[in-house]
Amino acid sequence: MRANSLVVLSMAAALVAPSLLGHALAQEQGKASQSDQKVNPEALVLVDFAKRIEKYLDVRKQAVKDAPSLKETSDASQIQAAEDTLAQAIRTARATAQPGDIFTPEIRNRFRHLLYPELKGEAGKNAKEILKDDAPPTTAVAFKINAKYPDGTPLPTVPAALLANLPTLPKELEYRIIGTHLILRDTRANIIVDYMRDVIR
Amino acid sequence: MRRWFLLALLVAAQTLATTAQDLRLPIKDGSVKFAVIGDTGTGDGHQRDVANALANARSRFPLEFVVMMGDNLYSGNREKDYVKAFEVPYKALLDAGVKFYATLGNHDNPNENLYKPFNMNGQRYYTFKPAKASVRFFSLDSNYVDRKQLDWLDKELVASGSDWKIMFFHHPLYSSGETHGSAEEQRQQLEPVFVKYGVNVVLSGHEHFYERIKPQKGIAYFIVGNSAKLRRGDLLKTDLTAMGWDRGYAFMLVEIVGDDLYFNVLSEKGETIDAGSIHRTGKIEPSPERSTQPVVPGTPAPKNQQ
Repeated sequence: MRANSLVVLSMAAALVAPSLLGHALAQEQGKASQSDQKVNPEALVLVDFAKRIEKYLDVRKQAVKDAPSLKETSDASQIQAAEDTLAQAIRTARATAQPGDIFTPEIRNRFRHLLYPELKGEAGKNAKEILKDDAPPTTAVAFKINAKYPDGTPLPTVPAALLANLPTLPKELEYRIIGTHLILRDTRANIIVDYMRDVIR
Repeated sequence: MRRWFLLALLVAAQTLATTAQDLRLPIKDGSVKFAVIGDTGTGDGHQRDVANALANARSRFPLEFVVMMGDNLYSGNREKDYVKAFEVPYKALLDAGVKFYATLGNHDNPNENLYKPFNMNGQRYYTFKPAKASVRFFSLDSNYVDRKQLDWLDKELVASGSDWKIMFFHHPLYSSGETHGSAEEQRQQLEPVFVKYGVNVVLSGHEHFYERIKPQKGIAYFIVGNSAKLRRGDLLKTDLTAMGWDRGYAFMLVEIVGDDLYFNVLSEKGETIDAGSIHRTGKIEPSPERSTQPVVPGTPAPKNQQ
């Protein structure tokens, strides 16, 4: 039966981002080999996450077509202008996006489980200290879909141990943790794509 | 008449500032010469003072490029931020053709990597090698050490052969700072890679002081995070420190001559805060068994006679 769950994952692999799915598969295959489970619903949750990320990238690709390209320049004004235009194009394309479109309740639970081992005990204290280092107050950031991450506000460092446990993201996206909340940030458009509250316990 | 007098005073002051600098580097033809500045992006008078001292130093030490330790722009990513905290303070150096290589700090918008004068090629982490030099630099994004970056680093280090390997990134893996301290989490990820591939020197910022760390597993570590901001009294007494200074603003000059790397840390007034050399014996090749390297930081360097 374990083979069945892997077949499902393999079929999904053809549909979603390879790096994301590769990570999901590697994580979940390891667990499956430890205990011969029938189906691995946890893996399917991560596959679902990968599909949602892929869907976002498709929307983004269309938005990028309408925005001036973000490319290297000596004219600093062009960087901000291109960032703002891209952000606006994504906002328009995702005007109806809602919190949880990517971080569904199942994905939120799965993420909490993935993060929890790195946040408990002595090692966890270290990770929590990093999250506090120069972190902005949660009030500085608007937890809203498509909201701009505020100018001049530090981007808190994400502990490497936490990143290692989460699905790898394409270069257009990154995780950031503000206080106890996790945001999914578009790196070039500098906007919040989705967020989940109280992921850090 | 009064105008001429003021101009003469200004020239005299400039000359004094230049001659007062006490450089202790060999300053040899054909060597690799560069400067290190960190946490610069305030756009205030302290940044300008350090920038002027650096420009003055260049009249005697013809540095080719500057590496920046992150927090390049504190106020944001707008045009005025680049002008105020980069283009104006370093105008003299930029006009002279000095190149800058930036790394991302926690206060930086990652889109800074699109700004050509930062020479990041649109990447969050990158590597470069000065022409005809046997040294390779690696700029990492220590804010976000994910698997992709580690894989990239591994690949680049394998390809870097026997060059000097100098890492620069924002968070110090070792630090005696009270406010931040050592970035132990990043250290767990990065140090084994550095040791495995024979990295020689690691440069960082984040802490707003200067600290030279005692060699760790054969690697020399420097913190230069006080080129515009200062956290006075933040340097704790720890066993890590070979030399530290948290009483003023500073920058570092570095010269590589063959297997010797000379460093000279100067205050904004041109006083030498620290100087020494690092010797690299033999060519260092990637070796999983290697646990230490023949690196000896802190050897007193001769006072330059030029």
